[in-house]
Amino acid sequence: MSDLAAPGFPEEAVRLRARTGAAAAFPPAGDYGQVLFGAGPDGPDGLGGPPDRLDALRLTPPVFMEQRLAKLIDLGREPTYQDVDLSTTIGGLRSTAPVYVSALGSTRAAGGDLGLALSRQAGALGIPMVIGENVVPVNGYGRLGEAAGRSLLGRLTAYTERLADGVGGVAVQQSTEDADAEVWNLVHSDPAARPLLDSGRLAFELKVGQGAKPGLGGMTVLDAAAAARVADRYGLDPLFEGQRVLRSSSPGTFTEEILRQQVRLMRNNFPRVRIWVKLHPGRDVAAAVRTAVEAGADAVTVDGAEGGTGWAPAAFPRHVGLPLAECLRRLGALPSGPPPGRLLVSGRMWEGSRAVKSLALGATAVGLGRAALLAVAEDPQDGLVRLVECLGTEMRLLISSLGKYAPGTLGPEDVWSPAEEN
Amino acid sequence: MTVQTAQGPTPPADPGRHLASPTTRSALRIQHHLLGAAREFLRGEGFTELLPPVIGPVTDPGARGSKQVDIDFYGHRYKLMTSAILYKQASLLAFDKIFCVAPNVRLEPLETAGTNRHLVEFHQLDVEVAGASREQITALVEQLVVHMVRSTVAALPAEFEELGRDTDAFHGLLQGAFERVRHSDAVLDLRAAGHDQNPDAELDWEGEALLSAKAGRPFFVTDYPKGSRGFYDRECPGEPGLLRNFDLIAPEGYGELCSGSERTNEYADIITRMRETGENPQKYRWYLDLVREGIPASAGFGIGVERLTRYVAGLDAVWQASAYPKLAGVVSP
Repeated sequence: MSDLAAPGFPEEAVRLRARTGAAAAFPPAGDYGQVLFGAGPDGPDGLGGPPDRLDALRLTPPVFMEQRLAKLIDLGREPTYQDVDLSTTIGGLRSTAPVYVSALGSTRAAGGDLGLALSRQAGALGIPMVIGENVVPVNGYGRLGEAAGRSLLGRLTAYTERLADGVGGVAVQQSTEDADAEVWNLVHSDPAARPLLDSGRLAFELKVGQGAKPGLGGMTVLDAAAAARVADRYGLDPLFEGQRVLRSSSPGTFTEEILRQQVRLMRNNFPRVRIWVKLHPGRDVAAAVRTAVEAGADAVTVDGAEGGTGWAPAAFPRHVGLPLAECLRRLGALPSGPPPGRLLVSGRMWEGSRAVKSLALGATAVGLGRAALLAVAEDPQDGLVRLVECLGTEMRLLISSLGKYAPGTLGPEDVWSPAEEN
Repeated sequence: MTVQTAQGPTPPADPGRHLASPTTRSALRIQHHLLGAAREFLRGEGFTELLPPVIGPVTDPGARGSKQVDIDFYGHRYKLMTSAILYKQASLLAFDKIFCVAPNVRLEPLETAGTNRHLVEFHQLDVEVAGASREQITALVEQLVVHMVRSTVAALPAEFEELGRDTDAFHGLLQGAFERVRHSDAVLDLRAAGHDQNPDAELDWEGEALLSAKAGRPFFVTDYPKGSRGFYDRECPGEPGLLRNFDLIAPEGYGELCSGSERTNEYADIITRMRETGENPQKYRWYLDLVREGIPASAGFGIGVERLTRYVAGLDAVWQASAYPKLAGVVSP
């Protein structure tokens, strides 16, 4: 190595690429399964994204509160934050709060006991849970001797064991490549899913994309033996040292007509199931939301560029995809506004203010991804339950401060953007 | 003896009693004769009978939430046939007019155990004709069904008597010239009758039964919307979003007997339609390679053998037309 230097230039990043080649486009492979990725405004290791406009917004309580008066009349006493009713309907599923657990897929971090703990607690909370699209092709369904905790059946069972009547529900994802595994058909014809199906608490989510890597499919790091087992189904790239292999999925191909017809086909094939669609934060996200809703989707999830727990090339969190705030702005600019009651959003959700701002800008509910995983990692028994309790209390405080008492009554008048003022 | 439930009769647990029942014997004799008459008719029209495959790397993509059965084929995931459709198209590289009596297995959703019209294991009389239009293929269905029923009614009066089936019920059918009703008109009919039929979807079972119950003889429903059917039904060039397909619906509430269409046979169209139906083209490699080299334009149909038997024999449930019935979720030999 020469003593050549380049002050002011990202010298060390260039040297890393010179030493490791294409592996340097990704986070360290050794972190896979231990580190939850995804953009933040000031993330470590250069993973940060642009400043977060959602965080920059302020919630703006008015002085005059007509809805508080209505609540006062209804109650016959002054309302408090405890009078905020957070229960709502999320994509056709009743929920105790405008919160659901986002899909966590087959990534190693979500496997095993954490996935089961998460499922149990989400069921106990009575909030919907999404099960990731490639759990079945990667970990199996659970009927043929696969490890129960990692399988779809294991999570489904853990969730329903603690679920109260009339609330919650499970949304099972499928993406293009998982069509081979027929995840939806498998669940739809399985006796274990029948209680959810019969009680209208089963949803299928068409996965079009994800916030952390818009335009790309799922990516995981596998050892050489595991990679060989899936070589006929996935793209493999031996990028990393120690025989570790990048396994990537095809993202699938969508046009407006393909999306419309896929939603219609889902409605045709599964008339008793709620139909959800998950979109990445593409520049045409507003048109995609409109198309999915017009085709009959019960919910459309927009995963902002801040979203995701899984493996993504480092360039993506930093440079690719619209921030959630911009997705919400574009949806708000539609002539008909965001689709009432059908927009779900995710992306760095963990506390009340970000959630309430999202609801004010047209979302019906917010998804917990990294936060949910961290919470069960902190306490497998009650971590998620406590996190959602705290989130719920914050939401009640914030919503009541706006003179409102239900999440569905929030509106764009409840937030202020210093950027737009200028 | 069968057990009557709120949802209809269920098969006896003892297969011996089912096979020895006079009802089963009469139903199976009628089925035997229906198939013989079909073979006689189709051979007379110049068709070649092929023996269909039972397993393959890919089968019909399926619909209405039924699951395909995977098998391990020397380390490769193969499927039991849910429909011979792709093989029928390919077979036209050998003969212009083919038919087969094809076994199919579909793990139907559990609620179909009570519909009286679904079996997990069933057979289709599959027909495919190179260069045919929908008009030509529906005319063929009409002639075929009329011939099968006329021949069977004439040959087996004692069986109809045993089953208590009044053969005057076929008076309208034997006149031929079945009515054609567009899907959109059927939807309007159903909505006018207070039934909330989704205009973008297949007729649901209840809606189909309502239309079937009102009819005095079989009729075709045509022009289904694109989101309701597989990629192989050709989209109407003049009316995008509608398919050049059809179902044949029996009268008296018996419901669907047959589905068919003109087929998509252009490579780019098939790939695009595969994506619209959520399919991954990768797994259809052998079929797409054939299509890229060129397969004939065609039209064809599949008649549900047990469903046709049920209608002709006047049975309460389709399982009564099977020697070894298998219903969704009911484990049976």
